[in-house]
Order: sequence, then structure tokens, then C-alpha cells
Amino acid sequence: MIAFCIKKITYSILVLWGVLTLVFFLFNVLPGDPARMMLDQREDSEQLEALKQKYGFDKPISSQYFLYLNDLSPLSFHSKNKDVFHYLESGKYNYTTIFETQKSAMVVKFPYLRESFVKRGKTVSSIISDTFPNTFVLAFASICIALFIGIFLGVISAVYKDSLLDRLALFLSVLGMSVPSFFSAILFAWFFGFLLSDITGLSMTGSLYEVDDYGRGEFVNLKNLILPAITLGIRPLSVIVQLTRNSLLEVLKADYMRTAIAKGLSKFVVLFKHGLRNALNPVVTAVSGWFASMLAGAVFVEYIFAWNGIGKEIVDALNNLDLPVVMGAVLFIATIFVVVNIVVDIFYGILDPRIT
Amino acid sequence: MGNTLLEFKNLVTEFHTEGTTVKAVNGVSFTLNKGETIGIVGESGSGKSVTSLSAMRLIPSPPGKISGGEIIFHQKDGNSTDLLKISEEEMRKFRGNDIAMIFQEPMTSLNPVFTCGDQVMEAIMLHQKLDKKAAKALTIKLFEEVQLPTPERIFSTYPHQISGGQKQRVMIAMAMSCQPSVLIADEPTTALDVTVQKTILHLMQNLQKEHDMGIMFITHDLGVIAELADKVVVMYKGNIVEQGNVWDIFTNPQHPYTKGLLACRPPLDKRYTSLPTVSDFMKIDENGEIIDNGISVAEFTKDLAIPESERAARQKTLFAKEPILQIKNLKTYFPIKNGFFGGITDHVKAVDNITFDVYPGETLGLVGESGCGKTTCGRTIIRLEEPTEGQMIYKGQDIAKMNADELRVFRKDVQIIFQDPYSSLNPRMTIGNAIMEPMQVHGILENDEQRKKRVEELLTRVSLDPAHFYRYPHEFSGGQRQRIGIARALAVNPKFIICDESVSALDVSVQAQVLNLLNELKEEFGLTYIFISHDLSVVKYMSDRMVVMQAGKIEEMGDADQIYNKPGTPYTQKLIDAIPEGKLEDIKNHLESKGVKVK
Repeated sequence: MIAFCIKKITYSILVLWGVLTLVFFLFNVLPGDPARMMLDQREDSEQLEALKQKYGFDKPISSQYFLYLNDLSPLSFHSKNKDVFHYLESGKYNYTTIFETQKSAMVVKFPYLRESFVKRGKTVSSIISDTFPNTFVLAFASICIALFIGIFLGVISAVYKDSLLDRLALFLSVLGMSVPSFFSAILFAWFFGFLLSDITGLSMTGSLYEVDDYGRGEFVNLKNLILPAITLGIRPLSVIVQLTRNSLLEVLKADYMRTAIAKGLSKFVVLFKHGLRNALNPVVTAVSGWFASMLAGAVFVEYIFAWNGIGKEIVDALNNLDLPVVMGAVLFIATIFVVVNIVVDIFYGILDPRIT
Repeated sequence: MGNTLLEFKNLVTEFHTEGTTVKAVNGVSFTLNKGETIGIVGESGSGKSVTSLSAMRLIPSPPGKISGGEIIFHQKDGNSTDLLKISEEEMRKFRGNDIAMIFQEPMTSLNPVFTCGDQVMEAIMLHQKLDKKAAKALTIKLFEEVQLPTPERIFSTYPHQISGGQKQRVMIAMAMSCQPSVLIADEPTTALDVTVQKTILHLMQNLQKEHDMGIMFITHDLGVIAELADKVVVMYKGNIVEQGNVWDIFTNPQHPYTKGLLACRPPLDKRYTSLPTVSDFMKIDENGEIIDNGISVAEFTKDLAIPESERAARQKTLFAKEPILQIKNLKTYFPIKNGFFGGITDHVKAVDNITFDVYPGETLGLVGESGCGKTTCGRTIIRLEEPTEGQMIYKGQDIAKMNADELRVFRKDVQIIFQDPYSSLNPRMTIGNAIMEPMQVHGILENDEQRKKRVEELLTRVSLDPAHFYRYPHEFSGGQRQRIGIARALAVNPKFIICDESVSALDVSVQAQVLNLLNELKEEFGLTYIFISHDLSVVKYMSDRMVVMQAGKIEEMGDADQIYNKPGTPYTQKLIDAIPEGKLEDIKNHLESKGVKVK
């Protein structure tokens, strides 16, 4: 098990390094000069030079790459010379020194994702940590809705195969899969948040944290979560219904199900203990992938409900060519995928002992 | 009636599919007494499994439905219940508790995600209302009783970690857990090696003696019946054609179908020009009625035996020729990948340094238990597996060194017929196209029209209707599919055929027909066979020479008859002893051990 984890983690680091390299070179060959964009109309060659120096744009791309890598790596080398790009600045890095000489130091630190070009003075880490929890709450709520309702409907469909109930569930799931999220988002917002807002008490838009109208600071508004979570959950729910149904139908035919009935177990135990656990593997695969991509931000839903999540942030950053934010977010998302994958691999092992 | 356990009275079970109703069981009546073993025999589709599943009310519904009759169960306390009239909820109390069942496929009958112990404990906790600790203790005791090695360890292993025989023991422990009065065993040993089968049968007999159970033992193999049954029920197409005392059935079968079943097992003491089949003893007219040909087994087999002198003469000319295939020091290893970057840390030595020759026109038998490497050996010869080391010389050319083009030519000459007639045909291809495909690949005949004609000839040759050209595999029975597999192998005019467990999945009665077909084709087309099987009786019947394999190595090699009569190693001896031969002495022995006098 430990060997398995170490192997997985090593692979993950290699994957992340690959992503990082790809993203770095991709964005650096894109047309457009970030320094010029930051200056906007007030073009001035001296200022331009200063900016270029500050962000390291004056260096060749290979050294820019290694400096970026050095900033990201938890183990890094820094100079004590103030004029050098990788100066060990306590405001920038959150570090512990493990080895130092007169001129330089080797430190262990939290990966430094640099600062936003656009939102001056705001670090990428803080932007992510501001927006990601919102996305996480939204994604988690949606996937929970999708899982519970989806598995429930899938089991019902499989048990009452070819009944009216089954056909209805299948019809709804096909509908749910085929409706694009931006459309269902608008529809839900308009219907429940506008037409029926007096009954439901929901508003069309709103984020997890809202500023109190009377100036008493921020507060959590869980009511705002309902509509976006349902909207975002519809498609995974529809897929889970079908996956659970099909996989359970296969399992119901298995010999060990007959053995379970022959033991004298009740229908309920046979179905849920012996059946469902065997049927859940494809569901786990689908859900994990879906959950990870939701964590990367559900752009449409976040935009329409004005939910202040990471997806919305990335789109804004892309529009403004805010490279550090884009690269930081991509890396962060890749990390999430990798972590979710490791968790799922471990989970598979628990669900089906044949895998480990 | 104090001894009666289970009475079947006019049981009718139907299956409704696509508007047609099939009576899988049609008016079956028999009684099972305490301490008695009833053997229910018949080929697949005879309704024997459906009968037993009906008693447990395990018929999948829809499409199945028990539509008539009674199954009366006499409980320990003297009450009787008609199992077909009680509610599902009441039925649950009988299942596993009073009537327990063991199934055919130990590989798939245990739930893969729970430990063996958990699965046995579950039944104990349900019916005996014991707590977890007591149930665990009882489970481990049961595991000891069914002679599982290291019961405590097996308790916490998952089904995929133990062997097939061990799984079947776990199933038996599960069935025995609540001391049922009736044990239904549905082909419990068919999927196991003969040596394992023997130990399982032995175990069941002992358990029966100890607990005074009634056993319903369902099988297609009369040899197994002879080892343990008291009464025999012979089923054919949903009806009981004959039932009675095991001794009477074996010594004096009345119904032609019973005669056919008894005669079609490959005999061990002689060779026939062709095996008798069921159709030699009976015909079926247009109304589906059975017509007795009125011939006895002894009469029919009288002239079939090949005299020893004729066999010896044939072998003399056979081994005078140059070998067609020479296997020299063949090794096929499978790597075990492990370690940090998936490096190869060890090997499974599937075939470990074996050497033998095959002469043209010969049938060489390859026999051994599952996992001995016989199938890998066959697959290596046609390069479905890559050999690790050694030479395989076919007509002067080393197969291991052939390039892609040479291999194509070689594969036209050497064909393989696989074990599983169900999964080795593409379900989405008509059988005509399946047979025609290899002809197209190898460019045999000029156009598809000619090829189609040839396919029709081949279908006729393997006793199938040429009109079946446009049908799909699922429309055929197991025996018919195996014939299709044979026709496909013949399509490219091969010289050499490897039969890899080609009859293992078939009923004894169908097996006889396929074996006869293989022998006829061999004469007709001048073929050479390597015949691979786990069943020593079949290999012995088919082969000129026999190779016994164990753990990747050759245990013994030589004339088939000589090895059978004078086995050179204890392993071969063990294999031979384990064959359920269905001899009268076997029946006598086990009946007398129960105190029944036989004349």
C-alpha cells in the first residue's frame, strides 16, 4: 500500500512538471506583450523597461522558465542580493531556511505562484484561495445531489426494469444530459429565482458570501447555493442514473446474487449489500472525473448565477492576459485532478478488493 | 412417510420468451428421503437445473414461472409445507436454513467484494441469530469441517485469492452452516479438475453421513452419479424418462436415452471405431415422440471395438515417418511486473523446458490439471504466446523464428479449436462469414461465391444445415457452436489441428458426437492432432501417445494405453484414480458402505 502510494505520488509529480512546462511555454509564445498591456495607454519606454525587469521579461525564455520553476518548487535556491530576480524576499516567500551561505540560501517554502499582472499587489495564491472554496462548495453540493438522487433513481430503474417508472427515469436522464448547462442555468434562475421568487425566497444571482446590506460585514448565504448546485448537478445526475442502472442490471444477473438469495437474505440486503457495491465501480469512475472538472470551475453556471468561483476568475484572467493567474490556476487544477485520481485509486481498492 | 424430506409432484415450470412458452420442466415427480442421494442426470436443456431451482423458488421471473404441481417439504418438527404456496417472506426462512444449495460455478458464485468468512457468517447470523463472535467461531469450525487449509486465514481472504476447489469448499461450508435437511448440488464439480472433484465428492458423502441430509445431486456425468447416488432420475427435455435404484439403472437401463447416456462415455479399457451416441439408441419422430431402436448397450458396442493388433499395426507405420513437429526445450515464461517502475521481478514458468515430437497422422494427447501449462504450450506452438526459449520445428522450419509472412503461411497449415464455443465466435458475425473469413485472409479459392459454396459443404460435413449460413452464433447450442469452430478450422485446409479443451464445455452425450466427428475428419483429411484436455479418459480414448504435464514440466510421456495401464509416476496414478469411471464396483462399494446389500 505504501509502495503503491509512493509510486502514485512520484508519477503525479512528473505529470505536474509536464503540465507546468507545457503551460509555461504555451503562454510565453502567445502574441501580446503583458508589460505593454499593464501600462495601458501611458506608454513610456523607461517604465516599460522597469516593468520588464521587475517581472523578468528581459531575460531569455529558458532562464525565465527556470526562475518560475524555482519559485514553484517547495525546495528552492535564492540569492541574498536585492537586485537579483530570485532575491529571498520575506514578503514574497513563506519559507524556512535549511541551508545558507553568505550570498545565497536554500529554503523550503510554500510554492510561490507570483502576483497578478492586473490586480496589482494581489498574489495568485490569494486569488485562488479567495475563489476556490466557493467553487469547492458548489461542486461538492452538486456532486452530492447527483450521487444520492442518481444512484437512487438508477437502482429503482434497474429493479423495476421496463416499468413506467424506469422509462420515466430514463427519459428524464436523457433530457438532463442533452440540456446545455448555460440554458438550464438561465431557465432555473428565471423560473425559481424570478417568477417564483416570492414562494421559493431565492434570488436570481448571488455568491456564497454576501455583504450585509446594513454594513455588518460578510455572511454566508447558503440559500444562494441551491439553484447553481442543482443546475450543475443535473448532467452528472443523468449520467449516474444510467450508469447505475446498466451496471446494476449486469450485477443482478451474476451468480453470486443467486447465492445471496439462496442464503435466505431479504431482497433489500441482497440488492444493497451484495448488488450495489459491485455495481458502483463505473459510477465512481464517472463521478470522480466529473467532480474534478467541476472543481476546475463551472464557468457558465458561475457566470450566470454570479457565483464568485475559480472558473469565473480564470475567464477574467484570460481576457486580460493575466498570465500568472492563468498559469497558477491551471497548475492548481492539474494538482486537483492528480489528487482526486489518487483518492479514487485508493477508493477502488476499498470497493473492489480484486484491484489491489 | 416419516423418512420423506422433499416430494416433487407434477412440477411444471415454464419460460415465456418472445410470445412462445417453453415447458422447461413438464410434470416431474419424485421423492427425496432422509440420508439419501438422488442423482438427477440429463444434458443441458433437460430441465434438471430448473427442477432444483424450482425447489428453492429461484427461477428468474420473468421469464420463468412455476405453473403447476407441488413441492412438499417435510420439516424436522413433523409439519409439511408446500413450498410453492407460501409467500416469498416465508420462503426466505427455508432458504439456506432447511434447504441449501451449491452451484456449478465456484468462480462466480461467491461475491468478489466480501471475504469468504463474511459470506458464510452472514447466513449463520441470519438464521441462527448468533452474534458476530459466535458466528465467526462457527464459521472457522465449518471451514475445518470442509477441510480447508488454514481456516483462520481463509476466513479473511477474498474469493479471488483462493483456488476453485477451495471456493467450492467455502460454498459447501456456507450451505452446511445451518445444518439443512436438504442439500441441492447443481453440477458442483463440473468446473473442477478430476482430482479436486474426487475430494469434493468424498467430502459431500462424509457430510451426508454425519448430518443425515438428503442430497439432490445434479450432473450430466453418469460417472459421478455412480460414485455417490442411491437413486437416479434421468431427465430428457423436461420429462423424467426413467428413475430408480442406481444399481438397476446401471445394470439394466430400460429407456433408450439412459442406454445412450451410459454408452457414450469414452471407455477406458478399449477403443471404438466410433463412440455410440444417444441417437444410436433412439429416434425422435415429427411429433417429438421418442422411438426406441430396441437395441441394448452390449449388443450395440459388440462390434465397435478396434482389436489391439490393428492398433499396433497402425502405430508401427505411424512412428516410422519423420516427425511433422519437433518441440525442443520449449520454455514460455510470463513476467511478473512489480517494483517501482514496473520492472520484471520474477516469472511464472508456464511451460518449463519441454521436449516432444508429433508424427504425421498421429493424435498426441496433452493432459494435466488446470494451470499445468498445457494450454500455454498449445498457444505457444502457433505463436499466440511468444516462446521464451527453445525450438519448435515444423516441417524443417523453426516456428519461433518465423517472420510475419512465414507465420501467415504457417497458420494456414496449423489451426486451433478453442475451448469455449460460446465466446470464441464473434456474436456480430454470421457463422457463414465467420467460416469464410480465414479463407479470404489466406486467399483460398478465387472469389466469395466459390468460398460460400465451400462453406456450405463444410457445414454439411460437420452435420449442420447449409441454410444456417446467415445465422448468428447465439442461435446455436454449445455442441453446434463447437461444430462451427471445427468447420472454421477446416476452412483453410490445415494439416495440423490443436484441439484446446475442445469438448470440455460440452455434455457427455454431445462430447461423444464431437469426438466422433474429430476422428472421422482426421481420417478423411489426413490430419494430425494435438489434443489438449484436463480429462484423462477423453485424452486416453483419443490419443495414440499421451503427454502428462504438471507445473509446466512433462511428468510422463508414452503410449496412451501403456500410461493408463501402468502409470510411471504417482501423479499420473493420482489422475487416473480420480476419474469417475462409473464402474459397477464403484456403485457396489458406496452402496455397501451405506449398508445396502447388492446382489
